[in-house]
Amino acid sequence: MVGLLILLPSIALVGYFVYASIGYNVLVSFTDWNQLRPSYNIAGFSHYAELLRDSVFRVSLLNNLFLILLFVPSTIGLGLVLAILLDNRVRGEGVFRTIYLLPFSLSFAITASLWAWMYDPTNGVINTLLRSAGLGSLASGWVTDSSLTLYCVILALVWQFSGYIMLLFLAGIRSIPESQVMAAEVDGASRFRLYWRIIIPQLKSSTLATFVILMVFGLKAFDFINILTGGGPGYSTFVLPLDMYRETFGLDHYAYGAAIATILFMVVMVIVVPYLYMSSRRSEG
Amino acid sequence: MITVRSTRILLYVVLVLFVVAFVMPFWADITTSLKTNVDVITTVPVVPPLSPTLEPWAIAFKTMGQPLLNSLTFTIFATIFSCLIGSINGYALSKIRFRGSNMLFLFFSIGIFIPYQTVLIPLVLTMSRLGLFNTVWALILAHTVYGIPMCTLLFRNFYKDIPESLTMAAKTDGAGTLKIYQSILLPLSALPFVVSGVFQFTSIWNDYLFGLILAQGIGAQPASVALANLKGTTTASWNVLMAGAIWYALPLVIVYLVLGKYLMKGYMAGAVKG
Repeated sequence: MVGLLILLPSIALVGYFVYASIGYNVLVSFTDWNQLRPSYNIAGFSHYAELLRDSVFRVSLLNNLFLILLFVPSTIGLGLVLAILLDNRVRGEGVFRTIYLLPFSLSFAITASLWAWMYDPTNGVINTLLRSAGLGSLASGWVTDSSLTLYCVILALVWQFSGYIMLLFLAGIRSIPESQVMAAEVDGASRFRLYWRIIIPQLKSSTLATFVILMVFGLKAFDFINILTGGGPGYSTFVLPLDMYRETFGLDHYAYGAAIATILFMVVMVIVVPYLYMSSRRSEG
Repeated sequence: MITVRSTRILLYVVLVLFVVAFVMPFWADITTSLKTNVDVITTVPVVPPLSPTLEPWAIAFKTMGQPLLNSLTFTIFATIFSCLIGSINGYALSKIRFRGSNMLFLFFSIGIFIPYQTVLIPLVLTMSRLGLFNTVWALILAHTVYGIPMCTLLFRNFYKDIPESLTMAAKTDGAGTLKIYQSILLPLSALPFVVSGVFQFTSIWNDYLFGLILAQGIGAQPASVALANLKGTTTASWNVLMAGAIWYALPLVIVYLVLGKYLMKGYMAGAVKG
């Protein structure tokens, strides 16, 4: 009983600000509150029906999926490569680790500013470097070119997250019993076979965790994209959180924005709840 | 032997190439922040300036100074509050048996993952009704509340590993529930306080979304929003934007250099449990 008593204030706070708020958001999505002044007449599923016909919503959803499809495997791949490279009794491992992890520790407001300068078409880092290397023909509009801008966003996000994934994999690799690695080495297994057959298969739970973390991030990605491109040019980097933000706080379509947020919430939960269920069972067992 | 040595060299070459790629944006940031407006346009960004100037830093600080102070205020308060609450919660969830504690574990876990977009509309309404809209208090409250789930789980996982025999012995000595927390768990809590403290400081300091929604006024605006606005308004003065980014990064880089290994621990715990 005392345990519950201690937790009561937090249960109340989290209950209100998380669970009741989610419920309230869902309720708003069924109203006609599409102007600044709140209004709670029932509009039923009409906003959800409208979403099906909304081309900006469709583009945002597709961009979100494309982002996840490219961002998640690239980040996991690069993170794994960095972890394997560092797992070779590298001198100064701590320094390398710190440098690779640095981007992840910084605010998206900072990294978006840095990449805005990297990608700036007139005087920015990439184009001026290309020009001075005699590769001026490769210079391009980057974030101002609607066919490239989503790739620009993804590349920068891979840069920001792969150090974190490296850290998780490195921890996973280090937790594998030394004896297994020794045994394989005694058997004369090559370095490549050692990783492919012994180490990588044992990183299943690390990999699952990274998948979930990166997918959820890919769905919620707002800060970085909003600051770097604002969703543009056009709608080329619009994703669901940006669409929700624009509808709600830009156009005062509160009910409509709430409907987008509800969809986003359900997609995230479809990924997270099974994962939490699995990991809570594992930690009990 | 030669092949072993050459693969070692290759390994370091690859690692250093990655370092170059990872550091490039930071390097360009620093060199650009030290250049005059003319140099920004006429020179290659990664080449350091011949005559460095600190003027962009001064200009950036004029707009970033107050927001940095705001960020520092709400970050420190919300970090302290969420860690304290997380600690006592973690104790209740790990050391006191009661029905439904597993349910509560899930209750808090889900709180870590929710997309904040789903709570933005009610959050704005609540803060205006409380009269906190556009104040640092709105950010303190929001970051404390949304930090509780993560902190609770961090402390719970740490306390779970403290032997039951310790708390049991105190219990048989007649110590009450809070007394056990105070005299046994709290003195052992330096590590989880540093880990979750650094973790919370980092994520609150870095927040942009809550600041954007809850605190646009200059009296409460966080540094993240101020920096983003700087980018939006002064597209030509890249040197000022780069200097602003350094100002904003500086406190965190200091924390990172001093307590980096604890931050890594926090990241890992964050990954394992959410």
